[in-house]
Order: sequence, then C-alpha cells, then structure tokens
Amino acid sequence: MDSYYLGIDVGSVSTNIALIDGRDLLVYKKYLRTQGKPIDMIKDGIKELSESFGHSKIKSVGVTGSGRQLASIIVGSDVIKNEITCHAIATLNYNPDIRTIIEIGGQDSKIILMRDGIIVDFAMNTVCAAGTGSFLDRQALRLGIDISEFGNKALKSVNPVRIAGRCAVFAESDMIHKQQLGHSQNDIIKGLCQALVRNYLSNVGKGKDIQGPIAFQGGVAANVGIREAFELELGEELIVPPNYDVMGAIGAALLGKENVKVKGSTSFKGLDLYKNDYVVNGIDCNGCSNHCEILEIKEEDIVLARFGDKCGKWSSNSLRLNS
Amino acid sequence: MTKTIGIPRAMYFYEFYPVWEAYFKSLGFEILLSPKTNKDILNAGILACVDEACLPVKIFHGHVVFLKDKVDYIFIPRIIGLHKREYNCPKHLGLSDMIKSSIDGLPEIIDPIINLRNKNGVKIAVKDMKNELKLNYSQKELYKNAIREQEKYKKNLLKTDISLKKDEKSSNLLILGHPYNVYDEFINMNILEKLKDEDLNLFFAEDIPEKDYREYSSQFIKRIFWTQGRKLIGSSYYLIDNELIDGIMYLSAFGCGLDSMLVYLVEKKCIEKNIPMIVLTLDEQTGEAGFVTRIDAFLDMMEWRKKDENNLSTFR
Repeated sequence: MDSYYLGIDVGSVSTNIALIDGRDLLVYKKYLRTQGKPIDMIKDGIKELSESFGHSKIKSVGVTGSGRQLASIIVGSDVIKNEITCHAIATLNYNPDIRTIIEIGGQDSKIILMRDGIIVDFAMNTVCAAGTGSFLDRQALRLGIDISEFGNKALKSVNPVRIAGRCAVFAESDMIHKQQLGHSQNDIIKGLCQALVRNYLSNVGKGKDIQGPIAFQGGVAANVGIREAFELELGEELIVPPNYDVMGAIGAALLGKENVKVKGSTSFKGLDLYKNDYVVNGIDCNGCSNHCEILEIKEEDIVLARFGDKCGKWSSNSLRLNS
Repeated sequence: MTKTIGIPRAMYFYEFYPVWEAYFKSLGFEILLSPKTNKDILNAGILACVDEACLPVKIFHGHVVFLKDKVDYIFIPRIIGLHKREYNCPKHLGLSDMIKSSIDGLPEIIDPIINLRNKNGVKIAVKDMKNELKLNYSQKELYKNAIREQEKYKKNLLKTDISLKKDEKSSNLLILGHPYNVYDEFINMNILEKLKDEDLNLFFAEDIPEKDYREYSSQFIKRIFWTQGRKLIGSSYYLIDNELIDGIMYLSAFGCGLDSMLVYLVEKKCIEKNIPMIVLTLDEQTGEAGFVTRIDAFLDMMEWRKKDENNLSTFR
C-alpha cells in the first residue's frame, strides 16, 4: 500500500490540501475557497481526497493557517505550525537557494528573508489588509471583472494610471474618479497592481534587505499583473513555484512527516471523517466581566473541544490546545 | 470616618504602586484598586475616551469609570517629569484633564503636580498633596517612608543576576514595551502566559539597573528626553551589547507616539548586531490568531537561528 503525508492549510480565503509521497513530491493538491465555512471546506477537501486516495495510507497530517487549531481538532493532526515556518520549509524544499519569499494570501501578506537555508527575518502586514488578495478581490468586483482575468488585462496596458494604494477605501474612491475621467479599464487595473506592490514594499517590506533569488507565492502569485509590477519595482525576476497556491499546505505536510518519524504513529482520524457531522456552538460565558466568547465543537454528540476562554473554565474540560 | 481613595490599575500603576500604597496607607486612607483590566473596563473606557487616544489611555478611562461611584477620591498624579531635563509622554501629563473633561459624575480627583525637573519638585508635590487632601499637617516624613517602600520594590526587581539567567540551551528573549503594555495581561492577550511553557529565558527592562540603562541610553547625539524612552532604549542596548539576548519582542500600542521613535531606535540596533526583533501591535482586537502566528513564527526563527549558530565553527 502506498504511503502519503497530508498537509492542510486553512486560511481566511482559501483552504488548501496537499498530499506528498515518500520522496517529498506532491501527488495531489486542492485549492478551495473557505467562504467563512472552514469545517465544511475541510470535509469537502477530505472527501475528494478519499475518492482518489481512499485505498492508501496517510501516515501523517500537518495543519497550518489561521484556522489551524480548528483543523487540528477536526482531523487530528501530528503538527500544528504557523504559516511562516510552513512556507519557508516548503520553499526551501523546492529550491534551497531562495533568499526572499514574497507571500500574498487572502488577508495576510508576508515577507520572509532566508539566508543559508534558515529564516533570519520576517514581517507580516499590520492591522490593514490593503496589500492583500482581499483588496484585489474587492476591486475586481467593483470593476465587474473576474479576478482570474485581472492579470492579463493589466499586461495589456501601456499607460497605467496612478492609484492611491495606502488604503482599500481610498483606493476605491481614487479608482472611481479615474474611471469617471475616462481612463481605460486595463490602465486602471495595471495601476491597481502597481499600487498593491508599492503598498506591500513600503509596509510589509519596509527596511528589509530583499535579495534574490526571490520566490513569489500564495494565491495572488497567480496574478501575472502583480508579478510584473513586482519585477519592475525590484528589478529582478520572481520565481513562482509550480505549486505556489498550496505552499503552506506542502510545508505542513513536510513538517508532519518529520514529526511522525520521531513520534512513531499518527493522530489522524482517517479519511472517513468527512462522513461525520460537526457542529459548532457559540457560548457567551457570563461567569465574569470578561464575557468570553466560547466556541464548542462537537463531533456527532461528543464534545471535541471548547476554547476561547481566558480562565480555562471551559477549555480545561476539553482537550488541551497547543499552538 | 476613613475616606477611600481609588487607584486605577493602569498606566503608571505598573511602576509606582508600592509608593502610592505605602503613602496613602500611612495617611490613614482606605485604598480601592480597580480590578485587572477586563472586557467591561475596556468597553467603558472606549465609550468614555476621545477616539484618538491610544489603547492604554482608553483602558485608563475604563478603570476610572469602574472606581468613580465607589470612592471618595481618585488619584491621578500629573507626572510631568521624573528627572532633570526629561519629560513623560504628553498623555501622562494631561491624563487628569482628559478624565475630567470626558467622564461625568467624578469624585474629587487628586492630581498633584509631580515635576522632578525642578530642584524643589518633591517639596512642591508634597505641598500640593497637603492642599488637595486638606491635611493640616506636613506629611513629608510619611512621604519619605513611602519612597523607601518603592526603593525596596525596585531592589527586589533587580534581585536576579541576569548573567545567571543565560543558559546555553534556551533562547534569551527580551520582552520590551511600556510597563502598562507588558504587564497588563488583557491588553497583550496574556502573552507572558503564552510564552511561559516555551523553552525561553525571559528578560525585561526592569532587570537592568537604572545606572546601566541610563549610561547605555546616553550615547546619542541628541539626548532622549523621555524617561520611559531612556529605560527602553538603554536596557535593550545594554542587553544587546553585552550579548545577553537572542531576540526582542516589542509590544507597542497602536498609535503610540513615543514608540514611533523608540521602535525605530531599537530596530536600528538590532539590524546592526543581527538580533531578530518583532513588533507586536496591540489594539482593541481580541482575535488571537494573527497574534499567535507572529509569536510562533518568531520563536521558530529564533530557535532555528540559534541552532544554526551553534553548528558553525568559531574559527570562521
């Protein structure tokens, strides 16, 4: 029976699944839109996986992304790791010479600096999501075009307009003014790409020593317009790994594989877990003036986990969560 | 009848409570300390405070709201300066005015001017207190006794010999930031609890003797004129230059004016000496996912770097 290692990345916008084999090569990947329903998406992903790999052995599971705790509770994982480490691991596995990773996802954008195969510095966007995929999604919606056409349209422009990229709200009003002046859609789209790149470099990349080779990954790496704008600004070609959209999941799978080597066996609940019903209840705790928002996750009638409290009154009654 | 004085558990509480407690007790007051910051206090503070203020100031307002109907007085000293030619954050200077103009139905606010920039600063403050509390005797001696309590407290903080803290196996992490950000577990989503179980030696600015941090913060062309700034800059520079730490976590409240400068100075030093640093911005958000991700990734990086360092030959 073939053995595989699973990685799941539950992000704000997408839920990604990656399966690697014993030689660390990707054999299956799935990119699903989270749409605010992480549990359903994990189940959908596992269901599809079981259709093609139901007969094989999953030897380990690693989870990452902002929904990693939740994912771990549902699937039973061997390793729960932050997205930055996972991205770095996957990229180094793909190309050990990479010195800078630009990763732009749905709500997060990151820069990771690596030297001699280790992370030496990183940064993430602060409270603002202006330089991320959500920003592009929003503007594409506004322009009435599909996000997948965005990049190609940008490439057609020869005379991009300048759009304020500091804030998504300002960018939108700036963009509307430019539309009213009669600028072509392509020029506006290219302007938006440049605005995002400017914002990324001055916010996330501020003061960072960006050295090549540079890898560009995350959902936004699919956008050739953004890629071109980066290359223009940095004066260097970007490497987009073939599995740029699931790098976090690949990293989680690699880490899970390592972990099980030490641990011996996996905590994975099996590919049939998609058949179970999972219910999440919100509980407003009135025990003290903190009014914590407690989340309770049930599999059928069994409480899997409760978390969200400050004092431990709820979470200590369920399995302990480690981050 | 014994009068009750309310002390908000916020801002300068985290540095000066021992002296305040000893002083008011010796004057015969009952002290009511507001509870640890919680959601009710935060919400009350946000409602009461002007929108532009930083989160710690908003939380201070919340603590005052909690106290106002339970006490005869509330103590909000106007701490202008604690050293010659130095100031505190302007928000500290005007804190009692902000409170008075934003919150209705307050008891009497005791807000003596504490300005040690002047030679007679202590004398003036003591006299101020006499007038505000309508005392008919000089309380200079009581004040001196109270100061002794503060000195004892400071000495206790310095008890640990930091050179002993460093062991080769664990990473040494400095948690930097204003005390009301580092020690208020609500504002920083209980970061110290999160770090407790990690394999880390935690360092704080309070571990460094005043003499040392003052010396290390005196090396700039222009003097740093914020007392808090000197402590944060001086202690981090001391620890970096003496090779005592492997990383710095800077907790900064969103929109902090002092930090806009201080973070930059610490960052500059870190780049120069190749020490990893992360700035965690604190605001009203209570969603911990992003916060935890940054902390986890930073600790991973520190560990990774340390391992890598140990693998290298010393004869490079």
